[in-house]
Amino acid sequence: MASAAAEKGKALVDGSESAAERTARQAREWSTWAMKKAKVVAHYGFIPLVILIGMNSEPKPRLVQLLSLI
Amino acid sequence: MGSAASHSAGPPPPPPPPAYAAPPPPAFDAAAPPKPQEEAGKPAAEEKVDYMNLPCPVPYEEVQREAFMSLKAEVFEGMRLDYTKMLNQSFGLTHSVSMGAVEIPAQGSDVIKIPHGTYDFGANFLDPKLVLIGRLSQDGRVNARVKCDLTENLALKINAQMTSEPGYSQGMFNFDYKGKDYRSQFQVGNNEFFGANYIQSVTKHLSLGTEAFWVGQQRKSGVGLVARYDTKNFVATGQIATTGMVALSYVQKVSDKVSLASDFMYNQMSRDVTATFGYDYMLRQCRLRGKLDTNGVVSALLEERLAPGVTLLLSAEVDHWKKDYKFGYGVGIGE
Repeated sequence: MASAAAEKGKALVDGSESAAERTARQAREWSTWAMKKAKVVAHYGFIPLVILIGMNSEPKPRLVQLLSLI
Repeated sequence: MGSAASHSAGPPPPPPPPAYAAPPPPAFDAAAPPKPQEEAGKPAAEEKVDYMNLPCPVPYEEVQREAFMSLKAEVFEGMRLDYTKMLNQSFGLTHSVSMGAVEIPAQGSDVIKIPHGTYDFGANFLDPKLVLIGRLSQDGRVNARVKCDLTENLALKINAQMTSEPGYSQGMFNFDYKGKDYRSQFQVGNNEFFGANYIQSVTKHLSLGTEAFWVGQQRKSGVGLVARYDTKNFVATGQIATTGMVALSYVQKVSDKVSLASDFMYNQMSRDVTATFGYDYMLRQCRLRGKLDTNGVVSALLEERLAPGVTLLLSAEVDHWKKDYKFGYGVGIGE
């Protein structure tokens, strides 16, 4: 258990981290979490974003033109 | 494309009309504004090259663009149907259906093909300052390209492929700066990929460039050099990189309608040498591109405009070495 906790990357020999190492580890975890969320947002939101920007550009197309095939 | 890092740059753009670098207007003195039409007839002896007024070079990844237009035509197998609908001048939707086969690498020289049908939905927004292109395929993969002009000289390009499976998504951010006679680019990608490149016009026809990249996770890095010499009649490029790749290409514009291209590629890591010869006929109603390879591959692609808005595509690729024959036909509707 203690060895698994100590393998969290940059732990000191006695199993605790210094303040600098803890903030570095937290920054890494937060940025990984943010990148994962950003990827999900981009995956689901990019095409709706393009459609939104396109439907609001001039001259405004009608909604029925978006859904029909003519 | 022209980059030694060989990160795929997303779906290749639709074939544009040939864009050879037009000869830049000779600058007799820096104060006179360039008049390309009037000065095109002046004899070459009167031209004085003004090294302070060289044209801006082509972007680094497009250094071999004329060769790729002829030699890397998108041959396909099976049936293809593309429908493009423009809702207004800058916004359009595309629907593509393709029924073809996908190859699985197999032991020996046999080729195993698995039938594969796809449907792709695309949304394009094209503005002078902002271009957004998104493609969604039926297995949930999203391919996104963004090009945004932040200022007159600085552009941001984003290219991303996102999948539902974790770990298979890729993204790349490019910052391009265009100077008076140079271009520079800085790239950041996933897997801790960093790259930078720079290309400069040295004379009216010659431009030289260099690039460097570093991949964090695999601890790989590389440096590359590129040279491009283009005139009204031909374009010659050479590229060499520390990844062990040497690529040379030569494209000759025989006439307005015909151009011939040749390409030589040597990869030291995989001991792969390939030479390709190709032709490109740009006629009024059709465009025919074909190539012949030292790997024993002969291929051709015909795009014919049957009526305004209707395009017929015929594609063939015959690999004599592996006895692999791929034929495809398709129809494109819309602009």
